[in-house]
Amino acid sequence: MEKQPKKKYALVTGGSRGIGRAICIQLAKDSGYSILINYNHNEAAALETLKEVENAGTKGEILKFDVANAESVQKTFDGWFQKNENAVIEVVINNAGINKDGLFVWMKSEDWNSVLNTSLNGFYNVTNYLMQQMLVNKYGRIINMVSVSGLKGTAGQVNYSAAKGAVVGATKALAQEIAKRNITVNAVAPGFINSDMTAGLDEKELKKMIPVNRFGEAEEVAHLVSFLASKNASYITGEVININGGIYS
Amino acid sequence: MQLVAMNRELIVEKINYFLVDEFEVEKDDIHPSANLKETLELDSLDFVDLVVAVESNFGVKLKGDDFVNVVTLQDFYNLIEAKIN
Repeated sequence: MEKQPKKKYALVTGGSRGIGRAICIQLAKDSGYSILINYNHNEAAALETLKEVENAGTKGEILKFDVANAESVQKTFDGWFQKNENAVIEVVINNAGINKDGLFVWMKSEDWNSVLNTSLNGFYNVTNYLMQQMLVNKYGRIINMVSVSGLKGTAGQVNYSAAKGAVVGATKALAQEIAKRNITVNAVAPGFINSDMTAGLDEKELKKMIPVNRFGEAEEVAHLVSFLASKNASYITGEVININGGIYS
Repeated sequence: MQLVAMNRELIVEKINYFLVDEFEVEKDDIHPSANLKETLELDSLDFVDLVVAVESNFGVKLKGDDFVNVVTLQDFYNLIEAKIN
């Protein structure tokens, strides 16, 4: 029997809103991949992203699971690959993340754990599941969305800074393990970007600290991610790329 | 793929075939005492491909832990034989 060509996908975790949504749309415009839009709670927002992906002329699909829940990740992918035997996920954007800000002295263990579970364990749960297929496929792009907080640390975000910093370490280590197989692993570290996560912040006040003098837009981050996800970025691996208007380098 | 009991000879033959065919191992290097990593020049990532080759040839799924005691080709034959039968 003749081997059918594989159907290629890019997965974006936390793809329903904010930076994740912008990445889904940008990949739909630039990459030629079908887009797998992961979401956890907000199906309406995920469907809205899907609509925009389709408007960009690409196929897409929404996929509900909580990246922090290993069992849920495994079951969802087991089922999905059963239905899509010919699929290969070449690009993984680990974008899902939450913040539970507060001074460390008052931080409850559940706020510490939930932030680490989503950003750090979520990276493990999703990437580890897809790793074997990527290695066999001998090609892949893994892009981890981290944050300026994970590099310089941000007061009031000890949990978030710890989680993102840990993913930076994982990015560099994994990049070395699998570079030989044409799989690159990079991290993108945004600063203040207009999204739900920064909606409560005082831009007028905060922009005084930002050399570019404004918050960034999700689309600006998405362009960078789209480049890293492309074949043109083959020689970039183990890097953390800042996109923060000059606030930290 | 259905699991069927397979004799040792056939297992060895199949393994040797895919090592040469898919893993570019030199035919002359293949003997039971050959060290998988050193003699056959298989690196740790190649073991991922071995898992896939074993699955498609024998219908058994190996895990990373299965390779803990596998040093020589002989160990590898033994592992597959034990898994199948």
